[in-house]
This record gives sequence, structure tokens and C-alpha cells, in this order.
Amino acid sequence: MSAAASGTSKAAHGDVAAKRKKGPGALATAYLVIYNVVMTAGWLVIAVGLVRAYLARGSYHGLYYSIEKPLKFFQTGAVLEILHCAVGIVPSSVVLTGFQVMSRVFLTWAVTHSVREVQSEDSVLLFVTAWTVTEIIRYSFYTFSLLNHLPYLIKWARYTFFIVLYPMGVTGELLTIYAALPYVQKTGLYSVTLPNKYNFSFDYYTFLILIMISYIPLFPQLYFHMIRQRKKVLGHIEDYGKVE
Amino acid sequence: MDALALEATGNKRVANGAVVPAPLPVQAQSKRKPAKKTKKAVVFFEVEILDAKTKDKLCFLDKVEPNATIGEIKSMFHKSHPQWYPARQSIRLDPKGKSLKDEDVLQHLPVGTTATFYFRDLGAQISWVTVFLTEYTGPLVIYLLFYFRVPFIYPPKYDFTTSKHWVVHLACMCHSFHYVKRLLETLFVHRFSHGTMPLRNIFKNCTYYWGFAAWMAYYINHPLYTPPIYGEQQIRIALIIFLFCQIGNFSIHIALRNLRPPGSKTRKIPYPTKNPFTWIFLLVSCPNYTYELGSWLGFTLMTQCLPVAFFTLVGFIQMTVWAKGKHRSYLKEFRDYPPLRSPILPFIL
Repeated sequence: MSAAASGTSKAAHGDVAAKRKKGPGALATAYLVIYNVVMTAGWLVIAVGLVRAYLARGSYHGLYYSIEKPLKFFQTGAVLEILHCAVGIVPSSVVLTGFQVMSRVFLTWAVTHSVREVQSEDSVLLFVTAWTVTEIIRYSFYTFSLLNHLPYLIKWARYTFFIVLYPMGVTGELLTIYAALPYVQKTGLYSVTLPNKYNFSFDYYTFLILIMISYIPLFPQLYFHMIRQRKKVLGHIEDYGKVE
Repeated sequence: MDALALEATGNKRVANGAVVPAPLPVQAQSKRKPAKKTKKAVVFFEVEILDAKTKDKLCFLDKVEPNATIGEIKSMFHKSHPQWYPARQSIRLDPKGKSLKDEDVLQHLPVGTTATFYFRDLGAQISWVTVFLTEYTGPLVIYLLFYFRVPFIYPPKYDFTTSKHWVVHLACMCHSFHYVKRLLETLFVHRFSHGTMPLRNIFKNCTYYWGFAAWMAYYINHPLYTPPIYGEQQIRIALIIFLFCQIGNFSIHIALRNLRPPGSKTRKIPYPTKNPFTWIFLLVSCPNYTYELGSWLGFTLMTQCLPVAFFTLVGFIQMTVWAKGKHRSYLKEFRDYPPLRSPILPFIL
């Protein structure tokens, strides 16, 4: 568990190397460390909550209710990360981060919270588990990177676990949205019909279907981007014989 | 939109980026009289062009005139690599540096007699004029499809019917007028400084214009359309705003065109002219955008339609970005740039 490649820890952020732009100052670094530690702790709370609820009930079903509040709190808190990029203390793209965070927030609030009937679905457990494991690794990765002591294990985990967790999460998300469709159509949730004085209409049911379709072009792009990052970050250490 | 109208160069018709070179007559004149050739030798340049990424030697030109322009060098390079027409060539002194301009003269560049340039392929190019005509014709046609309620848009019983609200007819006239005006300006008014843009832009731009046009037109021409709350009063005011800003926008386009008589390349600060619609230049750097915003605000008020408001908002954001950029380059280029001016909104933005 050596702190190998500490020099590349910043570059392994997966995005633009912090060296190219002015890195965060001391105050910003301290804030970010606190932020990432808090987030790691938060998702650990969710993880523990899931395990305890499973042990108490003896089944996988309906575990959502036991972690509903911390899930909402910490997933929504991630919106701060968009601010971090906008202000410049984190060298990532505002648009990309915004997109990723908002898609999570959308699933948490506009689908799972809003459509009560899907909360007992197993697909919810699927994506919550994927998110939990991913976020615990991701936030500890950032914490250690900021402190310049990144254990190789964490780096390896960050760039390896996604191979399973990402498809797992996407599957859970899609199944959950799909489960929500009939209820949305029946109740006309979040939908606006004509006529009205703003001459506007919105069909949430159709919108959800379009969201599901958008996964088709988006997911492979993001997935293979991570795979390429993995080769770049882990490739030169893991396997000297590996040639691109 | 009109970012390029501000550039207002267009000395030569660079519709395809192929600069019309004029080397030969110059050659004949600038060279010394043949009899004195040995006394005043002309130092020819050698030009080598390397790929900016791989540093491969792509082309070697010897005996290049010292007063040759980058544009001429691009033409020569094109001969040896026919797939790279001049418009898609980016020639730079440094692999990561800025592109050199077509007008730059070889001997005035910081190069020795053997000049090394780096080449980057800009990708397939398409002319500004083509893009503009395509992206503006779309909304014109699409809106009319909705206005005439062609089949498969609204419930079949409404096919080919007309709206009972007169504001809907007015809106169609205004929308159509706006895009006809844009098409005519593209053909006869604007002077484009860059001949071309990357091909993929046409898909992006057309998606934007055509998509929004369809979205707006759908609601305005819908059988269940609700006319403005304040009725005739609201529509009248909106129409006045719309027309005022259309005239204003056109006046600015003409003023910008006249800034640079054809053939010259001077860049000048635009100033108010006798036309009162140009007096806004006192307060704003890019009043064409200001007027454009005003037009769409008028149209929003006229139709009282949320999608139109969204379109106005998105357009405003984009134009503000362009206006700020233009304002910044004015400030950089002219020491005596009037300090009272804001990029797009007087005193505010």
C-alpha cells in the first residue's frame, strides 16, 4: 500500500492535470479535503445503513427506505462540485461535472422520490449500491490525492471497479425509470397540457422515454472514456509489456 | 447570427477561402530590371511545411518569392496535396501557435530564408454563406408548415385549417419577414472576413435554428393556442418593438458594411451615423445584437409563448458571449475606444 506515483496523483484526477492551471490555494485545499472527507463518510453511512437493514430484515427488498434521507442529502450535496469547477478550485469541466451530478440528482428526486411506487423496486437497490461503492472510492481517492498520499489500492480501485459498477448502476437506473413510466402516465406527473396562457406543454412520460434513449449514445462514450483513462493511469505501472 | 458582419472585411470574395492571389504582376514589377540582375540579387526563400502533430515533412517549396503571402503558399501546398484545399489549411510558425493570416507576407515573418511552417488540417470546410442560407431557410419553411397546419402535426380534423386568432397571422408575417430579411442580408449586405467554417457547424447550427423554429411554431399555430392576456394593446406594443428593432438591426448591418469600403482592410471603430437607429453606437459595441434581442422580446410579447421566451433567452446568452468577445478585441486594438460603451446592454452588460 505504498504511496506510489504520488507525483501523478493529481494527474490521475482523470481530467486536465492540476499543474497546467493554478492549483487550489492552501485554503481551498483544506476546504476540499474537508468536503471529500465528509462525502466519504456520508456514503459510508449509506453503505452501513444498507448492510444493517439487510441483516435486520433478512432480505434485499425495500432497503431504500432505510437510507432514503442520507442518500438524498449526500447525493444532492454533490451539486457543490459543480461550484468547485466553476470557481476553479477543481480542474474539471463545469459542463461535464454538471451533467453527471444533475443526472444523479434527477434520478434521486425526479424519479425515485417523486414516484413512490418504484421505491420498493429492486432496481433501486441496484443503482444505490453501485453509487455507494463508487462514491466511497471516488471521494477517498480525491481526499488522498489532495493530501498527496494516494495509496495505489485506491487508485486501482477507482479505475477498476467502474468496469462492473458502471453497467450495474446504469441497469438499475434504466429499470427504475422504466418502472416509473406507467405511474407517470396515469397521474400526469409533472406534465402540462394545452391550452394554457403560456402556450407551453410538457409530457413527463415522453421526457422519461427520451432520457432512457439518451443512455444509448451517452453510456458507451463515458464507459470507454473511463477505460481509456484506466489504460493511461494504470497501464504504465501494471504491465510493462502492454503496448497500446 | 451576425458575428461576421462586424468583421466586415470581405475585400475579396473569399466565399471558399480560396484567396485570389495576385503574385504574377507584382513579381514582374518588383524585380529589378533584367540587365541589373547580378547587382541586386533577389533572395528567394525556401519553405518547408511540417505536420504540426507528427512533424513529418509534408512539402518543400523552393524559390519562393520573399513577398509571397501565406495565401499563395497555401495554394502551392494545395498543388502537392490536392485533398487539402487552402480553406482547410492552418499554417503556423509554431505547432501550437496561432494560425497565420492569408495576408501575412513571408519576408515580414520572423523566419530565416529557409522558413519552417507547421500545418494543421482544419477539417472539411463549408462557406459561411452556405451555412447561413441553409440555417435561415429552415425556420422560414418549417414555420410555414406549422402555420398551414400540414398533416401529421395536429389532430387530423385541423389539417389545412387556419387559426381564428389574428395575432397568429401577424406572428407568421413577422417571423417570415425576419428570416427573409436575414437571407437577403446574407446575400447582399454582410461582408464575411472568414470564408469558411468547419463542416460540422452546419449540423449544429441547423439543429439549433430548425429545432427551435419547429418548437415555437408548434405552439403558436396550435389549435389550442391562447392569445395574449392583454389582447390588442399587448400585441400592438409588441409589434412596434419588433419593427423598431428590425429596422435598427438592419441599420446597424448597413453601417457595419459601410465601415470598410470594398478592397480595403482597415479596421475601424463603428460610430453613429445620420441614421438615428445607429445612435445606439454611443452606448453599445454590438448594437446589432441589442436590436436582435429586442426583436425577439417583441415577438415573445406578441405571442405570449414560453418556448419563444426560451429561444430569446438562449439567443441572448450566445449573443452576449459574442458581444463581450468583440468588445474585448475592440478595446485591445484601439487605444481611443469610447469608454462609455458596453458590449450589448447599455451600462449593464
